[in-house]
Amino acid sequence: MTLEIKDLHIRFGNKEVLKGINLKLEKGNVLAVIGESGAGKTTLGLTIAGLVGRVVSSAGKDVDNGSAQGKIIFGGKNILELAEKEFLKLRWNKISIVFQNVANAFNPVLSIIEQVAEPVLVQGVRKKSIAFACAEKMLDRTGFPLRKQNYYPHQLSGGEIQRALIAMALVNNPEVLILDEPTASLDPIMRREVLDLLKQISADCAVLLITHDLAAASVLSQRTAVLYQGRILEEGDTQSVLNTPRHPYMRALLRSYPNMTTTKDMQTIKFSENDSLDMGCPFVNRCTQAIDICRNEVPKLIEFSVYYHANRDKQNTCSSNDMKSSVNNMVKEVKEVKEVKEVKEVKEVKEVKEVKEVKVIKVIKESEARNLNYCKYIDTGDDLKKDFEGVRDKIYFGRENLASIQKTKNIDLTKELLDGEIFGNTVSRVACHRGGIVPYLVVHRIGKKYGNEFELKDISFIVFEGETVALVGQSGSGKSTIAKIIMGIEKAENGNILLEEKLVKEKRDKNFYKRIQMVFQNPFDAVSSRMTVMQILVEPLLIQKIGDDKYREEKARKVLEEVGLPSEDIFLNRFPHKMSGGELQRLAIARSLVLNPKLLIADEPTSALDALVQARVLKLLMTLQEQRGLGMLLITHDIALARKVADRIIVLKDGKMVEQGTSSQVITAPVHPYTRKLIEAAAEMQKN
Amino acid sequence: MKLKLMKTLLLKKESLLGIVLGIILIFIFIFLPLFFDYKPTETSLNIFQPPSKDCFLGTNDVGQDIMSRLIAGGRNSLLIATGVSILSTLLSLILGSVAALRGGMADRIIMRLVDVLLVIPNLVIIILISAYLTPSAIMEIFIIALLIWTGGARAIRAQVLSLKERSHVYAAFSFGADRWYILYRHILPELIPLAMTLILQGARRAIFMEAGLAFIGVVDPNVVSWGSMISHALQFYYLEVWKWWLLPVGGALALTMLSFSLVSYVMEEIVLPQSGGKDIDA
Repeated sequence: MTLEIKDLHIRFGNKEVLKGINLKLEKGNVLAVIGESGAGKTTLGLTIAGLVGRVVSSAGKDVDNGSAQGKIIFGGKNILELAEKEFLKLRWNKISIVFQNVANAFNPVLSIIEQVAEPVLVQGVRKKSIAFACAEKMLDRTGFPLRKQNYYPHQLSGGEIQRALIAMALVNNPEVLILDEPTASLDPIMRREVLDLLKQISADCAVLLITHDLAAASVLSQRTAVLYQGRILEEGDTQSVLNTPRHPYMRALLRSYPNMTTTKDMQTIKFSENDSLDMGCPFVNRCTQAIDICRNEVPKLIEFSVYYHANRDKQNTCSSNDMKSSVNNMVKEVKEVKEVKEVKEVKEVKEVKEVKEVKVIKVIKESEARNLNYCKYIDTGDDLKKDFEGVRDKIYFGRENLASIQKTKNIDLTKELLDGEIFGNTVSRVACHRGGIVPYLVVHRIGKKYGNEFELKDISFIVFEGETVALVGQSGSGKSTIAKIIMGIEKAENGNILLEEKLVKEKRDKNFYKRIQMVFQNPFDAVSSRMTVMQILVEPLLIQKIGDDKYREEKARKVLEEVGLPSEDIFLNRFPHKMSGGELQRLAIARSLVLNPKLLIADEPTSALDALVQARVLKLLMTLQEQRGLGMLLITHDIALARKVADRIIVLKDGKMVEQGTSSQVITAPVHPYTRKLIEAAAEMQKN
Repeated sequence: MKLKLMKTLLLKKESLLGIVLGIILIFIFIFLPLFFDYKPTETSLNIFQPPSKDCFLGTNDVGQDIMSRLIAGGRNSLLIATGVSILSTLLSLILGSVAALRGGMADRIIMRLVDVLLVIPNLVIIILISAYLTPSAIMEIFIIALLIWTGGARAIRAQVLSLKERSHVYAAFSFGADRWYILYRHILPELIPLAMTLILQGARRAIFMEAGLAFIGVVDPNVVSWGSMISHALQFYYLEVWKWWLLPVGGALALTMLSFSLVSYVMEEIVLPQSGGKDIDA
């Protein structure tokens, strides 16, 4: 039997704790609700258990326990409207709950077995012995040591109490089980055991897992919902939510969570002082990609199938002329592909040609360029796949996980495009006006020739908003050329670049450079020897005509402090030849930050620095990432460094991408032999 | 860099001598006329006078004061030197940097023009043009400048080609700067030492060329010039006084050339160490 929550609002006095929750619990499925403390997770659990949002009589008095709006449908009835008497038949019988606070959940003056048997007695079994037998059986099943069944709660360990709590919840074989932080206070070994137990149990009933433990959600649940200030921000298949989060908040949660499979963690996001307003997105004050609409309108949950096949609102920037032309190009390309096919299957295609053409255009108009790019992007990987036929399942393209790569095997892209459904095997929902984390920079099939040889071939990658991508490879692998092509310093023979989902023209305008800045490789060359520190720092502002002299000077001092250089007048009037390489490099970084770019292309930004200064500079950049969503394309030959700083690593060899994946994947399970070589050559403190 | 350049110039013996000499000569040509009777074109009855109290270097066949004429010739030389050097250096700067920055067709056209002008001997053309036009000083400036900018343009082009690959130029570009800003703020300042060398060199060559043209008499005869004074003196070699007409003028010409040469020689050594102090277009 399923339990369905429809537009649930819970209000305590003036404070609305839950604001329109829509969820569905199905038998045999675990739905994890994750979020930080105060998000309303427990309230949701308690509401389903009938403990919140209704008038409950306690000790002879009626206590107002918050008011509820909306529906919770269980067994065909809205349980929010049930009288307390009727609800008693459900609670601990059909719907049971494992409470959060392990230590205080039991009555200290009753033995464990008595308390576990209590729900059985309450639900109408008169004979104590039967109830006790049931309880004993359930305690045994949960792995509770039976010899301790007559102990009192204070005599037991946390893990044992947790098991007893679970036994109590399960003793009547409920259909809906609510687990409120079941692993919060357990040590890792015990936690593991409890998780295993919960996994067994969850097969029989519908489970709502309330937790801030992402690993628990990953182990137990099939679907995950992210709750923030009483609203659901993202909901979807657990693996896709945890591996490829779409909402910035979910990504922040993941980044802050220490675990064994990510290399860049303990990152936080900015904290806002003022509470969220009733209007606007609840996350707006902490979001680094907020636009005007985010402040005025609450985003609705939008469905999307994984891999950017979303149907976002039409109002956003994608409808511009740039987009149209790029879309038109794509239509052309798709047609070309089709024509090749035509030669093979002349008859068949001719029959459906007209219908298909209409469809192509329709599909392309509906989906956005980034979706298409993404599709083609996967297509780009085909070369790679051929190279590593045996192990290709392990190569990650962009953000795809294993399952999807398997799905794309032998895929006919044209056909898939025509069918509209591309790679979406699951449907997720995200509440964001910008459709989730924005793919800030899309580099699509860039190629560059020197003479007849390709120096770069089919370079495609995405840098998402607030994300660090490392380009790793030997010198001469074309890393810097990629950077120069993006900046418009060099021209590419083919390929497209999209910034903020808009096609970048060959001649960049000033606005382009406000959003994207570059730190050059050689610090001695990167600043003019004829300018003072001050002149160097205000140059970008002068060129962009931002602010007056006073503002510029303040800004210059501010960025100097940010990179840890002195900001006194004497330093501001110094010429570069009196400075060390480290100072110059930091000066160059400071200069690139003056314009507040959203994306920084850093070409070996720390190669001239000693480790201490390097750590400082990179910490600074990571802080900027937290504070204002600075994306970074880090070009380096140091894979050890990339591992610590980057979310994803792209390995480049002779102008080709040979491997791409999240940092942890690339480091722990490198597929390409060249990547392995790089990792072996990386800095190590211990000799094996 | 600029300070370093001045310092080195003052420290080196050759350049110091050149600078001192130059200052003295300029002082003579500009300020000396204020202190005595300066009348370069005025004729008198005192002809063929040897040096005396009244006229330091004597008078010529029509009674003109040689000293006054020497200074007038120097002024003329300086005027032409200044005009030619500035004009030709400007041409070199503009055409050289345009060729380097624009590249492609502009580069090809400009550099082929340079090749053509370098192949044809300048002096021959100048003599031909001058003989046809008998130019005034201003016109002379233009003619000479239009023919001697080529070597400088080559040097500037090479320098700009290397400058524009520097990271700080790319950096300025990546702040959204346009071509003019980059030229003005990042490339021109780096060209100043080279441009100074070109100015000195142009001046030296202009003085020499002007004297040569006047010597063979293809310029405006009303202009008082060292070259015409020398050729005039040579016509009276049978008289005793002719050496007073010739030697001071020849000496002044030699000293002026020496002064410019010494300074530009050292400057080239600093600015273009690879040239070993040779003439850029030699």
